[in-house]
Amino acid sequence: MVAAGKETDDGTVPVTGWWQRKRTRERIVVACFLLPSLTIFFLYRVLPLAWNVLLSLQHWSPLKPARWAGLDHYEEMLLYDEVFWQALKNTLIFIAVSPLAIALALGIALLVNSNLKGAAIYRSIVFLSYPLMTVAVGIIWRWMYDERGGIINFALRESGLIAKPIPFLQSFDWALPSVIVAEIWQVLGFYMIIILTGLQSIPPHLYEAASIDGAPRWAQFGRITLPLLRPSLFLCAVIGILNSFTSFDLIYIMTNGGPGHATELLITYIYKSGFGQTKFDYAAALTVVQFVLLLALTYLANLVAGGNAGSLEPR
Amino acid sequence: MAPWLKSRWVTVPLAIALTVLAWNAYVAINAGGKVEGRVVDAAGRPVANASVILLERHFVMHNERQRTRTDGSGYFQFTGNDNHSLQLEAEAAGLGRSERRAVRLWFRAQNVSLTEPLQFSAQLP
Amino acid sequence: MPRRRTFLRHANLIGICAVMLLPFYWVLKTAVTNENIYAYPPRLLPEAPHLFNFVDVWYFIPFPRYLLNSFIVSALVVAGNIAFNAMAGYALTKNFPAKRAFLLLFFSCMLIPFQATIIPAYLITSQLGLLNSYLGLAFPLLSTIVCIFVFKAAFEAVPQSLIDAARIDGLTEWHIILRVLLPLSKAALATNVVLAFIWSWNAFLWPLIITREPTMQTLPLGLARFLSYLEDTTGALYAFAVMVLAPSIFVFLMAQREFIRGLTSGATKG
Repeated sequence: MVAAGKETDDGTVPVTGWWQRKRTRERIVVACFLLPSLTIFFLYRVLPLAWNVLLSLQHWSPLKPARWAGLDHYEEMLLYDEVFWQALKNTLIFIAVSPLAIALALGIALLVNSNLKGAAIYRSIVFLSYPLMTVAVGIIWRWMYDERGGIINFALRESGLIAKPIPFLQSFDWALPSVIVAEIWQVLGFYMIIILTGLQSIPPHLYEAASIDGAPRWAQFGRITLPLLRPSLFLCAVIGILNSFTSFDLIYIMTNGGPGHATELLITYIYKSGFGQTKFDYAAALTVVQFVLLLALTYLANLVAGGNAGSLEPR
Repeated sequence: MAPWLKSRWVTVPLAIALTVLAWNAYVAINAGGKVEGRVVDAAGRPVANASVILLERHFVMHNERQRTRTDGSGYFQFTGNDNHSLQLEAEAAGLGRSERRAVRLWFRAQNVSLTEPLQFSAQLP
Repeated sequence: MPRRRTFLRHANLIGICAVMLLPFYWVLKTAVTNENIYAYPPRLLPEAPHLFNFVDVWYFIPFPRYLLNSFIVSALVVAGNIAFNAMAGYALTKNFPAKRAFLLLFFSCMLIPFQATIIPAYLITSQLGLLNSYLGLAFPLLSTIVCIFVFKAAFEAVPQSLIDAARIDGLTEWHIILRVLLPLSKAALATNVVLAFIWSWNAFLWPLIITREPTMQTLPLGLARFLSYLEDTTGALYAFAVMVLAPSIFVFLMAQREFIRGLTSGATKG
């Protein structure tokens, strides 16, 4: 393959012609192939993020021209809006419960991660709840909590723990925990799978060496298992944080933020402000706050996991 | 046989498609809209010339749709039913009204023939 | 392992599975029972079970319509995902300037949850004139970053010699993907299909925002709408829920391996 360029005065052959065209052709191909995905991400991830910030700083409505608002919306949100603070508190409670769920999933994963006969079946059953439509899960759990037809009240009354049925989803105290239980039921399988993958990538010779050295099982767990599970646990933590932002379906079906605003999450409040009250600009401000919170929490989780997304490679 | 044909991604959808086709064929054959049965009194004797009402479900209520009369051997027949949730009731002079029987079908206009006759609680004199 | 410990493990796991399956059983029992479902105390077994609630649901609500809408949107999303993700994954296997920048861009896009974009996404879609249309319903989901990385990893595992041989044979880049890479990446393809299907099938918030007419609603929306429709004393609503869940459970049972593999490989930065 001879370059179709002509030899220049100092004897080098410039890289032109056929070779040059091949590389640019390859770059054009790469650009074309990346284009569709990039368009979608640009339109639906990058641009909305930027537009949110812009919207939050304006007074915008579909019919009137936009007016600059500066930090008016943020001021209104942080100083005067009690619903915002309630929603924020609920979202944080949602997130705070995820370590519990992760610990539970860790327990289940440890049980399943053995040469037990039928381990695959157990794993499938626990994971079954995850790929289901959250709307249907919400309906199922709403029925479970029902005062008359629900099994939870029935079991509690039959076992003598309570005398009258508890209106779980209509009571100010019980509504949020009830929704959280439903959410944990759905996401438990996902946590378990992630932890299971992490468990199965721990080389068994580490355990063997520790046993030979006489280390008790709980020490093996604390010194070998847990540290090596850091990436998986970090991932679960991130999923847990994201879940509190994405549990719109569950809240919408089970309580719609009620009673009062006892189960209002930031995401449901954003939806209600934006599409219920058509205050798009205020909803955009809420979204910005939500996203900043998400970033901050993820960064915090990263710190707790030891930096570098909990990965095991030395820095 | 090509190995890809045996994969579960082909056999299962194929089985489902065949079942759906077979079901649609069954429905097409049996969707005549015919509802038939017999009317007897409390002692089991056929009641002739009783009036039989066909009600069809509309959300939570049932509305009368058709009426017919039983023939000499207590047999009646409706045609043109296009609903899937019906009720049947008979009334006759001197016997009052019979039980109201709910008839739920598997598909609209399914041909159905009552296995148990509609029964009055009173007896023919 | 001593027998007692095995027995304990089994007992624990069976207990856990019973708790996980209890909601399914309860809803199934309610969907087939023949009594007033609000009667107290509720029976643990369905009384005189019948399947006619399912027939009622089929006819009284536009279930076929919702099913069709969901199916069309999911088909669009799956097709788009396979095409766009394969292309992007292939492009990412090559070395080109600014490749690291693009990788970083993709990673950071993963951190932007869909919920952080709903207001502008709605405005953008309405500007594009795609409100209340199948394409509008499918558009944000037509490409997902997790799946791009799944394809990238799978394509990188194909020996370069095969690709070079194909190129010498004169195949265009697109044909290389189609004829050489995809047939060797069946697992990645299956994972893509399953993940894309499940995400689009279960999507609720986006269709809620985008659809304007009841005839364009997808299955989750239909289910939510039916909640307020008829609070009757039969199990019709729960029969609807069972009918809605059946396809998801079916797809999951068929595609467990691919689904789990896709979640773990993509999620743990494959």
